Amino acid sequence: MWPYIARKLLYNIPVYLGIILIVMACLRVNDPVTAYIGKNASEEQKQALRTSMGLDEPFALQYGRFLLKVVTLDFSERSWELKRPVGSILASSVVPSLSITIPALILTTLIAITISLCAAYVRGSLTDRVLMFGAVLGMSISLLVYVVLGQYFGAYWPKQNLGIGVFAIEGYRPITLSSLNNWVTYCMLPVIITVVLTIGYDTRFYRAVIVEEATRDYVTTAIAKGATKPKVMFVHVLKNAMIPVITHVMITLPFLVTGSIVMETYFNIPGMGRTLITAINSKDFPVIQAFTAVFAAIFIVTNILTDVLYALVDPRVRLS
Amino acid sequence: MTRMNIQPKILRNSRTFSAACVSFVALLAVSAWPTVAAPATASKADARQTKTLQLPMRTDGPKTLDPAQGSTQYENIAISQIYETLLTFSYADPQKLEPLLLDGLPERSPDGLELTFKLKKGVKFHDADCFPGGKGRELITDDVFYSLKRLADKEYQFKNWWLLEGAIQGLDDFKTQQNADGKKFDYDAPVAGLIKINDHEFKILLTRPVFRFQYILTMFQTSIVPREAIEKYGKDFVYKAVGTGPFVLDRWQPKQSLTLVRNPNYHECRYPSREAWNEEDRRRRLHRPAGERVPFVDRMEFTMYNQEQPMWLQFQAGRLGYTEVPAEYFEEAFDKRTRELKPEIARRGVTAHKDVLLDFIFQGFNMEDSVLGGLAPERKALRQAIHLATDLDEINEAFYNGINAVFDGPIPVALDGHPEGGRTPMSYRGPDLQRARAKLVEAGWPEGRNARTGEQLVIRYYTSNSMLNQQQSEMLKRQIERLGVRFEPVLVDFSTLIEFCDNKKAPMFGFAWGSDYPDAENNLALFYSPNKSPGSNHYNYERAEYDALYEQILTMEPGPERTAVYERMRDMIIEDCPYVGSMGRTRFYLMSPWILNCRPTERMWTWLKYLDVDDSKR
Repeated sequence: MWPYIARKLLYNIPVYLGIILIVMACLRVNDPVTAYIGKNASEEQKQALRTSMGLDEPFALQYGRFLLKVVTLDFSERSWELKRPVGSILASSVVPSLSITIPALILTTLIAITISLCAAYVRGSLTDRVLMFGAVLGMSISLLVYVVLGQYFGAYWPKQNLGIGVFAIEGYRPITLSSLNNWVTYCMLPVIITVVLTIGYDTRFYRAVIVEEATRDYVTTAIAKGATKPKVMFVHVLKNAMIPVITHVMITLPFLVTGSIVMETYFNIPGMGRTLITAINSKDFPVIQAFTAVFAAIFIVTNILTDVLYALVDPRVRLS
Repeated sequence: MTRMNIQPKILRNSRTFSAACVSFVALLAVSAWPTVAAPATASKADARQTKTLQLPMRTDGPKTLDPAQGSTQYENIAISQIYETLLTFSYADPQKLEPLLLDGLPERSPDGLELTFKLKKGVKFHDADCFPGGKGRELITDDVFYSLKRLADKEYQFKNWWLLEGAIQGLDDFKTQQNADGKKFDYDAPVAGLIKINDHEFKILLTRPVFRFQYILTMFQTSIVPREAIEKYGKDFVYKAVGTGPFVLDRWQPKQSLTLVRNPNYHECRYPSREAWNEEDRRRRLHRPAGERVPFVDRMEFTMYNQEQPMWLQFQAGRLGYTEVPAEYFEEAFDKRTRELKPEIARRGVTAHKDVLLDFIFQGFNMEDSVLGGLAPERKALRQAIHLATDLDEINEAFYNGINAVFDGPIPVALDGHPEGGRTPMSYRGPDLQRARAKLVEAGWPEGRNARTGEQLVIRYYTSNSMLNQQQSEMLKRQIERLGVRFEPVLVDFSTLIEFCDNKKAPMFGFAWGSDYPDAENNLALFYSPNKSPGSNHYNYERAEYDALYEQILTMEPGPERTAVYERMRDMIIEDCPYVGSMGRTRFYLMSPWILNCRPTERMWTWLKYLDVDDSKR
């Protein structure tokens, strides 16, 4: 297994170097200093900012220096906008994002698997069709519609008309063990909306996987040996259908860290998605550069992890 | 059959997996239980103990709390509560200068070159660990000099150096010397134009007797900071604010919220007197706490809103003191035709206020362009034709609910030199297609084609690629192409737009200018030839007579004589037509019944200390 992991890691090093190279080159096509500093800045001001970021040095030197910082996890460079170390900005944004994305992923996966199992169990029946219609309907509505209606009917309306204020219209407060209710107040509504939005996609995918799995020869054998239909479906089929489910979940993992731009923006949650979009809008070069480097690394590591998991559960992957 | 063995190890122990799921659901249930109606209860309890004012801030809010590094309106809002400038504008009359950290307005010498300042005694910095014993010390002359010198320090990338550039005797040389390679910036090095008389009195010697210098001293970037704080906190000073302002920084979560608490040691500052308010303001009871000591509230909580809906819902729910009215909710609050507050909103005790911003939104021409530029009569006629074809009122209706102010010339509403009713006799305001076509003939481009060669006139219009600009460009295209001219909008990112303007490559371009201070001189500077691109004169307008008048107004005091010169300059610009315009935004504010003394203005943000709350009306 270790040689397999080492081989995967080695393959991905040039990929990562290439990503960083492309990102750095793209960010310098238009002068980032001019873009950031605005229309009335003097040349002296621009030069001072260029010097402070080392942007007046040869590209190769900038590339080498940035790589060294990434390797040593040195993100002490300060954001142009927030004037704080980029590392601390990213670190403080990860938790709010994960407070939404992890529960949303767990809930979506659990609910989608349950619904898809039920639908597959009664495949072709009216129940199956109603469930799938609901799934298609759910995924056809724009996220913005969910957010706007969710804020109004989930937070504003109950408070104004019924005096029940379970969810906040917007905002975020740090979540600690002693203040778990903050999670319910500030994160649960975004989580519910995310779940409602994504559950349609996942249910349809998982149902297709389970239906395909249910047509395998081992299912016929199990039934021939006297296993009941529920046992076949909820034990044997479910376990084997988990391989594509895990793949699907693993692919989602890097995006847990990036958070949801729309959700974080509308709900005023200081997460990674909002940090990134703010940095892009305000041309905050150090944050964009560091964020891209970190995200690329997470993406590559998750890919390697997925391959390793594959190899663990399916020896044929290693052989091939 | 073999596939039955292919399963992840974690799933082989399905009991563990199930237990984890159940635990998660249980955790959700437990954490949900005590929260029903909890937020409202908590906030009511808090409100009874202290007077708390909740206010919104659009976008992500401030990016820094260091005056020397700030530039946006949001930084202005935040910094103006924590720090103070030497001068400010009156809340009752935002055109009028008044002292803030001074004992009175500065005395000007007869030649206008020397200003003598007297600091208010007993003004103390906030308590902070940068001071001995953690107690804030008194503000002195050295703090003023230190704060001004910071703008010349390379460390802050000269972000706000433009405010002082060329203004104070010896300061430019000081900047050059102190920023020389390898030299450590010495704040103690003398500057010829900064003369200390004693700890509370000083003189500033100007290079030219310009009146605008006093306006510069109202700008939050020139707020006074204590040297000890910068030396102790270093780069972290951007979020460890220590000023003399009415509020002390409690907690700042960038992009999220900013909480300030009342400064217990705030120097004596009183609410404007009854006489200071005009009739209408008095009718609205704004003079009610006249002469009382401020601030009134104990706590001020700002929440940043990147999106309009949450801010609007929070205001509707009565959780914000005021809100600007987002464009998409305008018709929900106001009658579109009369612009009056809808009765159902007014019945809830909500009041409205209209603030006309000092904006100048325009479509500029490059006066050095081979086709559109120049002061020759036929070139002027071509630009006037385009101006006459443009319908600014249609743009205003379509994109701004018709609430913007459309006016002739570059001088915003309410400033000296703004034309009465927004219109001048020589106006080229469109749409007047007949006159526009006649002007095109005069220009040698009848029906948009060159009279000699038959060549089609093509105008390339550069603007930044936002959705609004894209839509407005399409409307402009339709309006201008009625003349037979081909109008080609070029949507580029902002840095490319600047590059094109700086290099004088954009024949026509869309920009906007927000006045730095309420004096038309700030707008008229946009046409002064030494400011040509890459300076702020992106039109590259150059007329010797205009330049001479501009130099003349710099040293003139406000008054009818100066206003007359402003009007001459304005009319010159209208006639030469280096741009199509103008338009200025109007901001509509709504105020909750529980907020008192509130009349929002965006000209300065030192007025938040005058606000009060009546918790019984929440």
